[in-house]
Amino acid sequence: MNWLSFLLAGVLVYVAVVAFLVGTAFRIYYWLKVPRSGIKLGIFPQTHGRRRFVQWIKDTFLFPQVLDVDRPMWLFVILLHIGGVAAFVGHLRLIQEFTPLANALGKEGMEQFSLISGGIVGIVLLVSVLYLIARRFKSPYRDISTPEDYFLLILVFMVLLLGNHLRFFGQVDVEAYRAYVHSLLTFSPEFPAELAESGTRWVLVTHVTFSNLLLIYLPFSKLVHYIGTYAVNLMRSEAR
Amino acid sequence: MNKAELKAVTGVLDKGMNRQLLYYLDVCTRCSICKDACHQYVSTGDVLFLPAYRAELIRRVYKKYFTRSGLFLPSLYEGREVDDRLLDELYRSTYACTGCRRCMYYCPFSIDTTWLLGVAKAMLIAAGRGAQILTELAGAAIAKGENIDLFKDIMLDLNKETEKELQSLVNDPTAAIPIEKEGADILYAALAGVHSILPPAVIFHKAGLNWTLSLFESSNYGYFLGDAEKGRIIAKRIVDEATRLKVKEVVISECGHAYRVMQYLYETWANEKLPFRVTAMVEIIARLIREGHVEIPSGKERKLVTYHDPCQVGRNAGFYDEPRYVLSQVASNLRELTPNREKNWCCGGGGGLVAQPEFDEFRIKTGERKAEQIKQTRAGLVVSPCENCRLQIAALNEKYDLDIKVTGLSDVVANQLIGRDIATSFEAGQAEEPESED
Ligand code: SF4
Ligand code: SF4
Repeated sequence: MNWLSFLLAGVLVYVAVVAFLVGTAFRIYYWLKVPRSGIKLGIFPQTHGRRRFVQWIKDTFLFPQVLDVDRPMWLFVILLHIGGVAAFVGHLRLIQEFTPLANALGKEGMEQFSLISGGIVGIVLLVSVLYLIARRFKSPYRDISTPEDYFLLILVFMVLLLGNHLRFFGQVDVEAYRAYVHSLLTFSPEFPAELAESGTRWVLVTHVTFSNLLLIYLPFSKLVHYIGTYAVNLMRSEAR
Repeated sequence: MNKAELKAVTGVLDKGMNRQLLYYLDVCTRCSICKDACHQYVSTGDVLFLPAYRAELIRRVYKKYFTRSGLFLPSLYEGREVDDRLLDELYRSTYACTGCRRCMYYCPFSIDTTWLLGVAKAMLIAAGRGAQILTELAGAAIAKGENIDLFKDIMLDLNKETEKELQSLVNDPTAAIPIEKEGADILYAALAGVHSILPPAVIFHKAGLNWTLSLFESSNYGYFLGDAEKGRIIAKRIVDEATRLKVKEVVISECGHAYRVMQYLYETWANEKLPFRVTAMVEIIARLIREGHVEIPSGKERKLVTYHDPCQVGRNAGFYDEPRYVLSQVASNLRELTPNREKNWCCGGGGGLVAQPEFDEFRIKTGERKAEQIKQTRAGLVVSPCENCRLQIAALNEKYDLDIKVTGLSDVVANQLIGRDIATSFEAGQAEEPESED
C-alpha cells in the first residue's frame, strides 16, 4: 500500500467507524440530556400495548400514509433503504463467505449469484438516489433544500457509482477484496498483490474514501434519522 | 435589531428547548412529503406555507446560533440571522398555520410542525411581534378573569333571559340554567353567545343532569397567540371555578382548541393535576344517549347530512365514532366527506384565523379543498362540533355558493329533542317567534 491508500483506505476507515459510533452515542446522549415537555403530542386514532408496538414498527419502516400523497417518492425511498441494507449484507461476504449458500451454489454459482443480486441492488440504489437528486432540483423541493441535502446526496451517489464500477468493471477477484477486508480487521491494512497492481485499486480507494466521509458525517447530518426515527414515530402514538 | 433584542428572541430557542423539539429539529430530512398534506400549501403553492419550510425557518435560526456545525459552516445549512426579513416570513408562515396537524399525519417521521411553530410564536412575541388582535382578545379574557365581580351582575341578568328562552323551548317553567351552583356534577364551559348555551342546556335539562354554567368562555386566545402563560391564566379561570364549585367534570363546549387546551396542555402549563375530568361536548352527548339519559324521539331526519371532523376533535382528540354515533341517532342519511376522519382536510379556519381579519382572504382561498369536499356530498346540512369550523364553513358557503346550512352537534340533538327541524338555529329572542323552516 502506498501512503495515500494507507491513509484513505486504512487509517480513515478506523476514524470513520469510531466517528460513527461515538457520534451516534453522542447524539443519543445529547437528546436524552434535554428535558422532555410533559405535553403529549400523539395524534389519533391511538393504539395501545401490542398494537401500539406494531403501529410503531409500521410507521417507522413502512410509513404507509405516504402512499396517499407521494407514491413515487414512497417507492424510491423504500427501495433506497432496502437496497442500503441489502448492500450492507452483501458486503459482509467480504468478511466471511456465506458458506451454506456457497456450498449449495458451488463456487461458480456463488459468483454468479453475487454478480446478479449485487448488480441489481447497485443499479436500484443508483436509480433511487438519482431520483432523489432530480427531485431536489425541482420547485418547491429546491426552495426548501439546503447545501447539506445536495452534499449528502452527492456523497451517496459517489459511493454507489464507484461501488457499481467495482462490481461491473473491476478486474479483481473477490478473494483479493476479502484479503483487504481481513487486513483491516486485523489492524494491518494492506492490499494483496493482485489488487495493488491493478488499476481497480484507485476506484476502490475512492469508493472507500467516500464511504468513510459519509459514515463520519452521518450522525451529525440530517441523516441522523437512522436513529431519530424510532423516537419521533413513537411520539406519534403517545397518549395522555 | 440591537443585541439585547436579538438575545431575547434567540433566547426563546434556548430556554424553550425540549426533547421533542430537538428531535424535530434534527430529524426532518426536508423530503417535503408533507407539502400535499397542508391545505394552505396546496391552494397557494407558496413555499412559505409548506409545513417543512415553516419549520425550516426556525431550524435555520437554530443552526446558526446554537449548533457547532452551523457556527462553522452556516452556509451548509443556510443558517439564518434573526432580522426583520426573517421575522416577517416567520410571522406570515406561523400565524397562518391552523394547527390542524395534517402534515404530522403524513410525515414519515411524524413531525409535528405545530410544535415547532409554537416556538416560532414565542420568538415573535419576544420580538414584540405577537399577533395583535389575538393579544388584545387574550388580554380581554384575562381582564375578565381579574374583574369578574364587575361582569357578574350583567351576566346573571343575561342568563335570566336565556333561561326564559330555555323554558319556552322545553316547555317547562322550572327549567334552569344554574350559575355558580356549588356541588353540581358538571361545569359547562360555553362560548360567548346563547347559541352555545341553549342547545346543551336543552340536552342537560332533558337528561336531568346536575350541572352549572361557567362564568367564563372556553375559548382561549392565549393558545392561538402562542403565549403559554396567557393561555394558562385564561384556562385557569375555569379550573378555579370548577375547583371552587367542587364539580366532578368540566364539559367543554363544541370548540376544538378549548378542549385541547384543557385536556392536553393545561396540566403541563400549570404544573398541576386537574381535580376533575375533562369531557368534550361530543363525548357527553354520545354518553347520555348511549346510557339512555336522553331519548331521541323516533322519526329520523331524512335530509342528506354530512359531518366535518374538526381537526382538534378528530385527529387531535380522537372523537371519530362519538359524533357519528350521535348523528346516526338523529339522521338517517349521513354522507361522509372524502377523505374523512384522520385524513380529513382542515376547514381552513382553525388556529384563530377566523378572528384575524388580516387572514380573511387567505382563509377563504385556502378553504377551497373543504368547499370542494362539501360540494361533492351534495348535502344540504353540514354538522361540525367546532365553532371555528362552523364560522369558516359558513364563510365558504357564501364565497363558493355551496347552498348549505352549518350547525353543531348539540344543536341537531337539541332540536330533535324539542321536536324542531334539526337545522333550526338557536338564537337569542327566537323562542317567542319561531323561525319558519322549509
Ligand atoms: S414530511 Fe416530515 S421529514 Fe419530510 S419535509 Fe415534511 S416535516 Fe420534514
Ligand atoms: S398544521 Fe395544518 S396548516 Fe399547519 S402546516 Fe401543518 S398542515 Fe399546514
